Amino acid sequence: MDTGKTNAPLGIKDHVELFQEERYQKSFEAKRAASEMPCEEDVLKVSEWTKTKEYKEKNFAREAAVINPAKACQPLGAVLCSLGFEGTLPFVHGSQGCVAYFRTYFARHFKEPIAAVSSSMTEDAAVFGGLSNMIEGLGNAYALYKPKMIAVSTTCMAEVIGDDLNAFIKNAKEQGAIPEDLPVPFAHTPSFVGSHLTGYDNILKGILQALSEARAKGSPNGKVNIIPGFDTYPANIREVKRMLKAFGIEATILADTSDVVDSPNTGDYHLYPAGTPLEEALDAQNASATLALQRYSTLKTLEWVSQNWAQQKTLALRPIGVKGTDAFMEAISEITGKPIPEELEKERGRLLDAMTDSSAWIHGKRFAIYGDPDLVLGLTSFLMELGAEPAHLLCTNGDKEFTKEAEEMLSSNPFGASGKVYTGKDLWHLRSLLFTEPVDFFIGNAHGKYLQRDTGTPLVRIGFPIFDRHHLHRYPILGYQGALNVLTMVVNTVLDELDRKTDVPGKTDISFDLIR
Amino acid sequence: MAVPRAKELINEPSCEHKQKDKAACRKAPEPGSSSGGCAFDGATIALVPIADAAHLVHGPIACWGNAWGSRNSLSSGPSLYRTAFTTDLSENDIVMGGEEKLFRAILEIAGRYSPKALFVYLTCVPASTGEDIESVCKKASRETGLPVIPVMAPGFVGSKVLGTRVAGDTLLKHVIGTREPKETTPFDIALIGEYNVSGELWDILPVFTELGIRVLSKITGDGRFEEVATAHRAKLSVLICSNALINLAGGLEERYGIPFVEGSFFGLKETNGLLLRIVERLGDAALIEKTRAFTQAMTRKTLQTLEPIRKRLLGKRAVLYTGGVKSWSVISALKDLGMEVIATSTRKSTEQDIAKAKELLGDQGILLTRASGEELLELVRTRGADMLIAGGRNQYAALKSRIPFLDINQERMRGYTGYKGLIRLAKDVDRALANPVWRLVLEPAPWEAAVPGELAAEV
Ligand code: SF4
Ligand code: SF4
Repeated sequence: MDTGKTNAPLGIKDHVELFQEERYQKSFEAKRAASEMPCEEDVLKVSEWTKTKEYKEKNFAREAAVINPAKACQPLGAVLCSLGFEGTLPFVHGSQGCVAYFRTYFARHFKEPIAAVSSSMTEDAAVFGGLSNMIEGLGNAYALYKPKMIAVSTTCMAEVIGDDLNAFIKNAKEQGAIPEDLPVPFAHTPSFVGSHLTGYDNILKGILQALSEARAKGSPNGKVNIIPGFDTYPANIREVKRMLKAFGIEATILADTSDVVDSPNTGDYHLYPAGTPLEEALDAQNASATLALQRYSTLKTLEWVSQNWAQQKTLALRPIGVKGTDAFMEAISEITGKPIPEELEKERGRLLDAMTDSSAWIHGKRFAIYGDPDLVLGLTSFLMELGAEPAHLLCTNGDKEFTKEAEEMLSSNPFGASGKVYTGKDLWHLRSLLFTEPVDFFIGNAHGKYLQRDTGTPLVRIGFPIFDRHHLHRYPILGYQGALNVLTMVVNTVLDELDRKTDVPGKTDISFDLIR
Repeated sequence: MAVPRAKELINEPSCEHKQKDKAACRKAPEPGSSSGGCAFDGATIALVPIADAAHLVHGPIACWGNAWGSRNSLSSGPSLYRTAFTTDLSENDIVMGGEEKLFRAILEIAGRYSPKALFVYLTCVPASTGEDIESVCKKASRETGLPVIPVMAPGFVGSKVLGTRVAGDTLLKHVIGTREPKETTPFDIALIGEYNVSGELWDILPVFTELGIRVLSKITGDGRFEEVATAHRAKLSVLICSNALINLAGGLEERYGIPFVEGSFFGLKETNGLLLRIVERLGDAALIEKTRAFTQAMTRKTLQTLEPIRKRLLGKRAVLYTGGVKSWSVISALKDLGMEVIATSTRKSTEQDIAKAKELLGDQGILLTRASGEELLELVRTRGADMLIAGGRNQYAALKSRIPFLDINQERMRGYTGYKGLIRLAKDVDRALANPVWRLVLEPAPWEAAVPGELAAEV
């Protein structure tokens, strides 16, 4: 401790460097010795044991406790979707805390202010139902934030009580809390079934339903509707728009979050910076086709669209990697009758060229991946195009459909032969897998950093949330351009790891090469 | 079922000596407006820093799934508190009741991680279906031989502050007094309300060591279960920057006759004042003498180190939007840096806090009861403030509006308390203001600035 007796200025370090210092390390050690903490050796023994097959079996037998969950909840998905419409305020009916979490969650991932409110149900509402909270909440929200549309979803508590959104909203309009003509689409989004993907799907269906009820079907507008799904990469949406522009096609993005969660710094803060114009959304039913870019977050919406909008085509594609993007291009070309633009063909050529340059470093590498189903499937497929071998595909929120699709994909590809699919499992399960059946790298969100620390497996950060690295969401992972970005991240992670393993002078540096 | 009703909690006897302040924790959130975290959130903020305990959240997946790992409370040893445990209640569990599952989850965790204790957090769903988690905890405790502690702060009972208060009561009821320290000294204190955000505690502890004061219990930053449990043997408790835990300090006084002092380690004046109040209460003449000399020397030294930065910060104006004790203690720290605070918020503040804030702000100062993001930005603009100092919630809106920003709340990245913390605060404020990006951002693009024709003329 600096006692102020000398005249040297106070040395200031922050916690990152401070505790690397010897005196702190020593004092930590002393503390360990003094308290009843188990000694270093025992700790090591236990931590070694958690790496064994035996432990893995125990771990996989676990049924009541979830450890380090890798999924978010329904209303969180609903909030993201709602944000993608012009002037729309996401309103979550339930207790306030859930929404406070969603806001922070998104704000930390996107590094943007996120607007969302709740009806702040309290103990009384838990007993008597949330009607008065809903009416007061809608009224306040409308007066305070002047939205053009309010999209209502629910937290678990409102669902347990069984509040009737439809009746409540009607009631609020009748009582004059909000104008009669204000669109207030809604969806029940209980998190004890499904995940953020279900919530996205439910509210999108609710919004489209409400909007198309507000206007009769008109004449075909020649456009294509694109549903991004629960996509936390604003750059993906921009990339798809750019591709469609190259085709010369007009598209309506349902819902376009890109300029909402990634808006330019103009010196002004806007509560509703952008989003799909409501006018366009009202006209979406007159498009010639509706394409979703994710399957598992758009199941119900697509089904509803195909039943109600009578369009030429409704389908889900997954434009990740070469084959995935090819299929998207062909579908667009088929629907619109327009040829594949030369610009995009060249882009594809450049991607293939880059793949030939790097694939030697990726070919034969084993990897694990966890995340949302479409991301897991798309990226796995792309990595197999490069000759990488998937070992563990973990998807906490994957269902039977997903398992089937994933297993088919693996078994139909020689690189997928040793891959296994896990749904309903958490990151603690994955930890066991990474110890017992190690891989060369793995793909996941920011929480993966603890797996990287514990298992030494290098992490490629793709997914949501990513709190601990900046701006990754500002680079697309869709389309040919996106595939190039993914390739760059993966190959450089492999090369970084190689450098790390060969950087001890005189020992391992024989292969510390300048040219890779 | 014993979910505390908000009103009951606030009527706890230890709350009484602060009669007037009850309003601060009773206020229900306003439906439809953008509000802060729930009681559950507040309870986890206060208890999860106990690093060698397992923290199990009983509820649907994402109450914890959305929150885990996002606090910057650091531990110098065990890291079990960073592992997120939840019962992930599914529809079936809710219909059939989740008590059985909770019980099994506790056994699974106890068997596999050998935690020092298990804290079980109740959330809205099992609370509204009326599950009796207190009994489950009792039964599990018998079965495992571990302390299994129910934390009855489901989100809907109220705000974050209320949850913190429940956390304090939980410690009093279930933890403190259940262990005895190996030895005691005449200068044993309990630190209450310091969560070691970004290692702030580690700037404070050496000061106590230097003075010969022993921190017997840290509640709860870098905390250990057994240490917290011995708090009843402290000679004095020190309540830092917290109104929410006044119940705990009051409870220690009532039950064990431990007096408490309140204060803050933000800024020179407060740090010195608090240290002196502590030693005066401990009542040892030599210690008081030593502390006087120490604070004087440290003040001299800190001011000397600050000198070059202070020159740049002199007269800079800030809007401060935080809560509770910090609504005035941070003003004091900023004044140490030569800065002027033109507005502060009185959220979660007591009458006393507000009075202090008023005094520090001066006649021109503005007291904000509650301001939305936009109102804050508007205030910064119209009053010509140089920066906004607030919590993470306002960060990105401020940056969008090109207003230099510093995070002073839970998510701050570096410690700002104590002598060294003040210097860090000075450096960070200085950096926030002097960042070259602001010049770029504030200047118009070259083609915007140029009057038509001028561009051509230059060539
Ligand atoms: S209660 Fe339900 S909606 Fe709220 S955070 Fe928990 S899982 Fe999500
Ligand atoms: S308000 Fe209730 S349901 Fe929502 S996060 Fe808090 S405890 Fe969970």
